Amino acid sequence: MTGAAISIEHVTKRFPLKGQSAGVMALEDISIAVEQSEFVALLGPSGCGKSTLLRLVASLERPTEGTVSIGGEAPGSLAARHALGVAFQDHALLPWLNVHDNIALPFSLANKPVDREAVGGLIDLVGLNGFETARPGQLSGGMRQRVSIARSLVLSPEVLLLDEPFGALDAVTRRQMNIELQRIWSRQRITTVLVTHSVDEALFLADRVLVLSARPGRIIREVATPFDRPRDPAVMRSATFHDLVDDLTDALHPTDATAHAGR
Amino acid sequence: MARFFVLNWGILLILVAWEGWVAANDFNPIVMPSPQGVFMDMISNPGIYVENTSVTLFVAAVGLAGGLAVGTGLAILTWSSPLLSGIVSPTAVLFSSVPVVSLIPIIARILGYNMATEIAIVVIITFFPSFVFTTAGLRDLPHGSQDLFSVLGASRRATLRRLALPAAVPNMAIALRLAAAHAILAAMIAEFLMGTTGLGYLFAVTKQEFLTERAFGTSVVATAISVAAFLATSLLERRIRARFT
Repeated sequence: MTGAAISIEHVTKRFPLKGQSAGVMALEDISIAVEQSEFVALLGPSGCGKSTLLRLVASLERPTEGTVSIGGEAPGSLAARHALGVAFQDHALLPWLNVHDNIALPFSLANKPVDREAVGGLIDLVGLNGFETARPGQLSGGMRQRVSIARSLVLSPEVLLLDEPFGALDAVTRRQMNIELQRIWSRQRITTVLVTHSVDEALFLADRVLVLSARPGRIIREVATPFDRPRDPAVMRSATFHDLVDDLTDALHPTDATAHAGR
Repeated sequence: MARFFVLNWGILLILVAWEGWVAANDFNPIVMPSPQGVFMDMISNPGIYVENTSVTLFVAAVGLAGGLAVGTGLAILTWSSPLLSGIVSPTAVLFSSVPVVSLIPIIARILGYNMATEIAIVVIITFFPSFVFTTAGLRDLPHGSQDLFSVLGASRRATLRRLALPAAVPNMAIALRLAAAHAILAAMIAEFLMGTTGLGYLFAVTKQEFLTERAFGTSVVATAISVAAFLATSLLERRIRARFT
């Protein structure tokens, strides 16, 4: 068991908007409890506020109402003691650093000596052996995301936050990255929240999938995935998986739900 | 050899026309020297040219380094505090808007009629591009990197050192390229108006003494080192850009 539990209680987030005194409601009365070592996926249409929810947990935004706490602490204090790992859709690699130094960056920012073994181990884990001295500009999109994932794990964070980390990749690379992330995660089991709009990705990676409605974001569906870990990519071909995909797809697009209303 | 002519035929044509024009009108060298005369003066007095060129290059280089340091320092100040930014930016704009020629007597009063004043002039001319470009560069960060540093709990100082400054390096290289040619010009103006050595002084003196061939030779050298400085810094900028982006 590694990581800390995340508790989101009655969180509402409004963004100020010119001409509207109440502002735009991005999230409305959201409550989520993520257990220690649990992998939760947030699934929702574009603009439903799922990224905002993740930014609240990452201490990049503050809730208008309600509280977010991680292991009893405010998210900001977790960031301050370098216990958060994040990988966003923008890989945010520093172009002047090579692969090794980008992955080692969190050590420098935490004023810790670089653990070369940990960095080397992660380079190995994400399959970038031989690319240690390459710079981001020389890598493919998939490789950059792997560097970003490795960087998010290098300090053995208590909480891992992933915001569409593979959103910019093609379908084939994305599937491959999902399989790799599943393998990596199954070893470390850090409390993780993944934001995605891919149903397959959410089901294959998470222990629990939460579906958010369009703005303002509310949780409209919750599904616990019944697959064992470590997961074989073959589960994606099972009947249970396909049924869950249909189920969640319906929840995501309520307008086409009539055919499956009874489910 | 053929390549040399292809690349430089324009310059060669001007030299030939100039030589022909002077010969045809039979000008006195005091009025208008021929290219040949200028060239002869340069190769027969290498000591004078080398000595004054190295003084000018020294003043320009030290002043340029100082200007870049001052510009970068001010940019970091405005980056670290909005309050300081409110003071520094208008002052920098004001300072750079004052014609430098009018500043020379004032600075000379303070620092003396010597090389220190010349270097100060170069600093004043070169700090502004450095300040403007570095200020912009410190804010031109890779996408998402600010959020990353925030989530990773980076201190303000670490953010400056590991993110903002490296991100500003390509802009600093642009400032270097722009300022390098200005630095030589500024050094020469300062020497011309108040110096005792250097290319600017050599030009002023030879003009007064009707040594027109040497005055032209001085211009040739000044042009050559300005172009060389521009080419060298352009190359450096390309290298740096490739390394940092």
